Amino acid sequence: MSAEPQARAPRTLADGFGRLIVLVYVVFAVSAGARAGYQVATKFADAPLSFTLSAVAAAIYLVAAVAIIRGAARTALVAVGIELAGVVAVGALSFADPDWFPEPSVWSHFGSGYGYVPLVLPVVGLVYLLKRRKAAR
Amino acid sequence: MIEWLYLAAQAAALAMSAWFFVETARSQRVGRRHVVGVAVLEAFVLAQLVAGIAIVPGEDGSGAGLFFSYLVTALLVPVAALFWGSIDRSRWGIGTAAASGVVVAALLLRIHQIWEFQIHVG
Repeated sequence: MSAEPQARAPRTLADGFGRLIVLVYVVFAVSAGARAGYQVATKFADAPLSFTLSAVAAAIYLVAAVAIIRGAARTALVAVGIELAGVVAVGALSFADPDWFPEPSVWSHFGSGYGYVPLVLPVVGLVYLLKRRKAAR
Repeated sequence: MIEWLYLAAQAAALAMSAWFFVETARSQRVGRRHVVGVAVLEAFVLAQLVAGIAIVPGEDGSGAGLFFSYLVTALLVPVAALFWGSIDRSRWGIGTAAASGVVVAALLLRIHQIWEFQIHVG
């Protein structure tokens, strides 16, 4: 931080709007992760699929946040892409066959338990990352 | 939870967020007045924590661990966001702090639910 020249520090992925995205990703990584950890520890047998999915989602949020902070554009794109595929697939499955997901996970019902932020977040993230990639060329 | 205190904290979170989003639209950099804004919100959340420590142990439910972990998270998020935002030179520095107000509002909503259904029972 302090070693970099103040006047023309290069714009990284985590600058500008990326800062807000990182905040939301970190919040989701922590909340989904803590919740999954608590559920796996106390009642894993009740809904192993839901809780495993929550843990996987938390890990993907963390990877996306770290990738954006470190400027790893390709890793960030892959993580956000998997996240979008995951929320759409799990969201659709949880409506098609609710028995699979007796307990809510971050992605079931397209993230309705989290104000649909899990559905909006990867779309916003993808648009941002693709825009930045285009600008970098 | 004391109902009026909860509503006051919720109002403070949303008001701070709205103000900061206006500052985002005006491309303001993070400044001293924003630190004061976050401090006001923190005072309300801290009041929740003190009130929680005073009244939660006397209740029947078993959601205390969840309740306090959410409250401490709500306390940390705006400070972390303001710091994380303050090292940005674009409008999204204050925009990040604005988003933290929405996060706090969501956490408070969840904290209130935990109070209603898992602590203040019977």
